[in-house]
Amino acid sequence: MAENSGTDPAVETNTEENAAASATIIKVTVKTPKDKEEIAIAEDSSVAQFKEEISKRFKAKQDQLVLIFAGKILKDGDTLGQHDDLLLGGSSQTSASSGPGPSQGNTAGTANPSPAGNLGTPQGSGPSPTPTQPPNVLAGFGDLSGLSNLGMGSANFMELQQQMQRQLMSNPEMLSQIMENPLVQSMMSNPDLMRQMIVANPQMQQLMERNPEISHMLNNPELMRQTMELARNPAMMQEMMRNQDRALSNLESIPGGYNALRRMYTDIQEPMFSAAREQFGNNPFSALGGNTDNSGVQPSRTENREPLPNPWGPPDASAATTTTASGTATTTSSTTSSTTPSVSNPLGISSSSLGNGMFNSPGMQSLMQQISENPQLMQNMLSAPYMRTMMQSLAQNPDIASQVARPSFPKQQLMQQMLQMFAGGNALTQTPEVRFQQQLEQLSAMGFINREANLQALIATGGDINAAIERLLGSQPS
Amino acid sequence: MTTFLKLNFNTVIVPHTVTRHYQLIATGKFDTGVKVPRNFRLLEELEEGQKGVGDGTVSWGLEDDEDMTLTRWTGMIIGPARTNYENRIYSLKVECGPKYPEVPPTVRFVTKISMNGINNSNGMVDARSIPILAKWQNSYSIKVVLQELRRLMMSKENMKLPQPPEGQTYSN
Repeated sequence: MAENSGTDPAVETNTEENAAASATIIKVTVKTPKDKEEIAIAEDSSVAQFKEEISKRFKAKQDQLVLIFAGKILKDGDTLGQHDDLLLGGSSQTSASSGPGPSQGNTAGTANPSPAGNLGTPQGSGPSPTPTQPPNVLAGFGDLSGLSNLGMGSANFMELQQQMQRQLMSNPEMLSQIMENPLVQSMMSNPDLMRQMIVANPQMQQLMERNPEISHMLNNPELMRQTMELARNPAMMQEMMRNQDRALSNLESIPGGYNALRRMYTDIQEPMFSAAREQFGNNPFSALGGNTDNSGVQPSRTENREPLPNPWGPPDASAATTTTASGTATTTSSTTSSTTPSVSNPLGISSSSLGNGMFNSPGMQSLMQQISENPQLMQNMLSAPYMRTMMQSLAQNPDIASQVARPSFPKQQLMQQMLQMFAGGNALTQTPEVRFQQQLEQLSAMGFINREANLQALIATGGDINAAIERLLGSQPS
Repeated sequence: MTTFLKLNFNTVIVPHTVTRHYQLIATGKFDTGVKVPRNFRLLEELEEGQKGVGDGTVSWGLEDDEDMTLTRWTGMIIGPARTNYENRIYSLKVECGPKYPEVPPTVRFVTKISMNGINNSNGMVDARSIPILAKWQNSYSIKVVLQELRRLMMSKENMKLPQPPEGQTYSN
């Protein structure tokens, strides 16, 4: 979309009549050999209209004007918008002959019949160069004058951008500085703009092709707005992520929940990550894959060698998290150890400060680094508010959870279900006792009278009665 | 406008603070001692061309805005007063090869011109006849080349040369 986000609200009213065919007025610096002026003109006006303005301002005949910009002659038929550089703060040069102009040069077929000449020349005023031209007169426009330093906007210099990205991302302070910049914030508060930007990123486009959920997500304006709020406010974002992690850990405790999560992860998240990974050229989950060899039924016991992280600890330690883009079960916990630093959240805000076993795998870290280097992706991956409520409702609704976990569940339907759950609202998460009510009764009916121990076992095994029994038997011979 | 936004798509939103960070690296202002990478140099020249530094009698810019190699440039020279080039606008093509700025660019006129050192049939600027091209230094730039050509138009040997009718271009 070709529009300045910084439309100039306080339009310098053109002293002459306005050329405002649209609301976007730009100010262009026009230099002639004699002097220089700023002319405000609507962005979408044609060169001819621009020349009209100039001719009035400089008191020269319009058809004697030749506009030159960046080595090219501006043709009457063009619009100013075609010359992006002009809009970005270029200045154009004019030459006009006000004296006895020589015959019309017949420039073959261009819409530019006027003879060129130095304004100063026919009037014989000394050397043509104007002596006192300040060197860098940027025609800033509106709020974006600062950005015209970008200058190089007329070309797409990938390597340069990558370099800048890297510098940027390697310095997290810079990131927060950037976020605080009011300009950035104002850009972010424009959901359409954000969406356009995200969508136009070729990497994102690939991602979107593979995972239509992402495009759903992007199409949801409410979500985008929330996401942008989050992006603007890093503190809020961290808070959000912490909540997510807590919700996730709750999820694990429901009966069958762990398996559900695991399946969710393998079904959905791995393809997601492979898709994302392809762009980042790394497979962090190969390392994970090796670690996730669990016996299925009692995963938490056999594999979890790492101490569970303190979910209420400092966010760094708990590997601040964001969810991956697809709204689907990206917040599945890691299949191995910890629940809190979920695997779904490879994007640490500070990827360097990840605590846990899984995250220390070099693959994982490099993924995180790469993703954090691509902040666009990071933004997309913030479906935080969405996911949090979803997970909470998931947690209290084990039926849906197990349904969700069915491997055969196609992704789309999964997404819809999640959406329904989300719509279904937040309820409180129940205590383990309440959740395992049924199991506890069964256990006590079988003769396990130690309710405490039962509860512990159930929690440890995620509500799996058989596993709980084994556990209980293992610890209490007889 | 797409270009402006494109820049942002691929990077994060880049406010001017970050750009200046980059510019700090690139600014060496064409020192001969420092070897500035080609692209940085050309980007600076691009920026200057757009901002219109100088006296406004020469102009230059990329021939194709999407050219990421920054190789092909167009230039314009306004014929100096009191010469036979007066009131004319000369269009040129400048090509900055991969070794630029260590080697001079190739320059050729598009608009027909009669001038020493310019090939009459195709407008190529003969690097040996133009002093700064012959004795090129890497602190020179496209702007310098254009300005030098313009200066040469004012030299005694050139200023009175009869010129072809206006508006003609070389056919290649």
